[in-house]
Amino acid sequence: MKEVGGYLPPCLEGELEYKTLTFQRNQDTVEIQIPLLTREQMDALTDIVKRNSRFILKSFTVNEIVSIIDKAIAIFLDRSSKYRQKAEKLLPIITGYDEEIIRLGLTSYLKSFRKPQLQRFLVEDLGNPLLLDDFQPRPKGGFSKAMGPELVVHVWAGNVPALPIWSLISGLLIKAGNIGKVSSGEPLFAGLFAQLLMEIEPKLADCLAIVWWKGGDEERESCLLNKADIVVGYGSNTSLASLGSKIPLTTRFLPFGHKISFGIISKAGLDSRKAWQTAHSAALDVIRYDQQGCYSPHCFYVQRGGSVSPREFARYMAHELECFEKRYPRRGLSLEEKTANAAWRNKEELNIFSNSSKEVLGTTSNNWTVVYEEGSQEINPSCLNRVVKVIAIDQLEQVIDFIGPYRSLLQTVGIASTPKELFDISDLLGKAGVTRITGLGSMTSPEAGWHHDGRFNLLDLINMVDIECSAEEYAERFAPYVD
Amino acid sequence: MSQQEIMDSICQFIRRDQSSEEGFNDLALHLFAYQYKNNLPYQAYCLQQGRTPRTVKMWSQIPSVPINAFKEVILSSNNPKEAERIFMTSGTTQGIQGKHYHPALQVYDQSMTANFNRHFMKNSGKIRMGILFPTEEVMPNSSLAHYLALAVKEFGTEDSSYFISEGGLEIEKLIDGLEEAKRTGEPYALLGASYSFVHMLDELEKIGGVFSLPKGSRILDTGGFKNNSRRLEPDDFYNRLSDRLGVARKDCINMYGMTELSTQFYDQGNGEIPSVKSGPHWIRTRVINPLTGETVPKGEQGVLVHCDLANFNSVTTILTEDIGIEVEAGFLLKGRAQGAEAKGCSLALEEFIRAKKGTSL
Repeated sequence: MKEVGGYLPPCLEGELEYKTLTFQRNQDTVEIQIPLLTREQMDALTDIVKRNSRFILKSFTVNEIVSIIDKAIAIFLDRSSKYRQKAEKLLPIITGYDEEIIRLGLTSYLKSFRKPQLQRFLVEDLGNPLLLDDFQPRPKGGFSKAMGPELVVHVWAGNVPALPIWSLISGLLIKAGNIGKVSSGEPLFAGLFAQLLMEIEPKLADCLAIVWWKGGDEERESCLLNKADIVVGYGSNTSLASLGSKIPLTTRFLPFGHKISFGIISKAGLDSRKAWQTAHSAALDVIRYDQQGCYSPHCFYVQRGGSVSPREFARYMAHELECFEKRYPRRGLSLEEKTANAAWRNKEELNIFSNSSKEVLGTTSNNWTVVYEEGSQEINPSCLNRVVKVIAIDQLEQVIDFIGPYRSLLQTVGIASTPKELFDISDLLGKAGVTRITGLGSMTSPEAGWHHDGRFNLLDLINMVDIECSAEEYAERFAPYVD
Repeated sequence: MSQQEIMDSICQFIRRDQSSEEGFNDLALHLFAYQYKNNLPYQAYCLQQGRTPRTVKMWSQIPSVPINAFKEVILSSNNPKEAERIFMTSGTTQGIQGKHYHPALQVYDQSMTANFNRHFMKNSGKIRMGILFPTEEVMPNSSLAHYLALAVKEFGTEDSSYFISEGGLEIEKLIDGLEEAKRTGEPYALLGASYSFVHMLDELEKIGGVFSLPKGSRILDTGGFKNNSRRLEPDDFYNRLSDRLGVARKDCINMYGMTELSTQFYDQGNGEIPSVKSGPHWIRTRVINPLTGETVPKGEQGVLVHCDLANFNSVTTILTEDIGIEVEAGFLLKGRAQGAEAKGCSLALEEFIRAKKGTSL
């Protein structure tokens, strides 16, 4: 199968060079041909996108933009549409994830970009979304308007399907020109989404572009980064540091580094009736995208004292993971990943001798691993791909000590507890650096309007322009009808 | 069996010309039973995997231990305090060194000399040697320092010398050595770490030094480049060595060994890349899928597992991080399988370790 990826404004002229990225899963192969622009073309592209964002995109009202996105999302949610079908067919081959996982993941993710959710998203950040259209009066006096920049450059990473449209939609809502660089791990969805938007509203055709270059290609990179007003970057801290060093000081850089997330299970979730459901939800968070997301759990802290002990809970989880493996098998791993996985598990097995309470659960095919541990346990990353630790604790608050040193790396906590425990521990977690607390089973589906890594999705992209009271009053003096 | 009996039977095995599958298997299972009994962390590990001397019937079923385990636990059948020598791995990202305990070096030394004599010396008596590595006195915990010292002691002539001192590469002394070798017309052997050869090449290129070593001269490099020098592509590396020293690429031997083993692998020169590596009859290699431990079909890439009968005290079977392909006469090395980055945006182990050390955040 061949597919042209990316998206370029029709008014970009000249011959295009294409680079082919090949993906294989089981017997299926797909070749994504993605345009590789020359330096001159990249220069021309930024000019086109900036110009059109200034004169075209900014002439739309925010409500009109919301409606266009809503239409595109509706088409992607419709399983009979050709766009949806293409995504469902190709994304499993590209990313290696199971078809069902992708189908369910896409639906739950895309739902958060329908019109009501986008409206909530806007109100969440801005209070009054009309700020994006016109100067709005402020309670303290004067007027303000939220101005989107001319060009937001997005540098996406990873292979979690469709993740890039989060920042792309944010960029569109604030009426910025957008150029996104897709990752080699998932170069398809952002381009598909852009193509569909243009089909729905052809006037936007020259306001955005989806491109690709090989990471570290300084010539293409610097060309784009120098002209951006804002750069949104995703990736490891190493790659973000390198990206940041190429961005001019006056350009706003919003780096989203890799994060670590985990679960907390109170004894309230561990009576003999509810424990199965709790284990099921926890396992679901593990198998969705094989823990590759920043919101995916690396381990679960499980409280003692319930009628199901933490050790038993680990076995429940093992059972759930084995059942999921049959229904939604893990994606095929690279030799590097297999080696890392085996090394991680062997290391745990070797430590059984010095830590006899430890238990390593798994099958000989090694499709998942659950390690049970007791005693004080600092959070430690899993090697991912369905490998988790279950760590016994006496009090929920103990977790705070285990995560203390890593505040800048923390993100989501999936929690199963009583309402009182939820609010008590949330305050402590927040102080320790956690930015998102969610129900167990929902770790991989952030709500519309969430604060990604604790930040504002839209506010960080805009500038407020104030007309102060004095200007208004001063202007009165010069009105032609002044008395 | 006592330790001495074990050692004797291995030395006897090494002295043979070759081994049958059955002979290898018998000794491997004996060793497994000995290590299982005397090395308790290993015993717990085997029990966890459900493999004990009662259930393991083939050497290929012996539980393999990942090289990183040497950093985590003490793998020794004998009291580690009584070790004659401890070989340690070079520093790593975590700054913890793996330790390989040798109660006595008798087996290691016999394994090394028998194998070295056949594959590098080609049973040709003694040769004048130049060593591009520190001495054993300077690095008592380096298995390579011991290996090279043993090479000099057993196979080097009396005028062999070391060219690495505390100040680094002694290039002038080396040049004198090379010129002297040329003058005498006697074959010369230069042995050392691959990265030292890169430093040497850099120095020689700076001063435009070109030598033509006498016929029969040869080179042995080992260990790759790691972080000690810039990385050269193998073709480039051997071309430069050959150009600067006048030793044909077929006489440039690469040794593949590791601190965690007691036996080395050699190729038959690097005229063609990648060269085929093979070991003597007391070590066997499987190319496996690391997840299942099963041997991959011949010709497919996998991770190397070595079963080294000379590893009588630690564990016979080591799971490496080296990617390889089985071929007719041995295996091809295809690089290292380390540092798998997360595919998504979740934190990878290596980045976490850096964060913990406070170097990246």
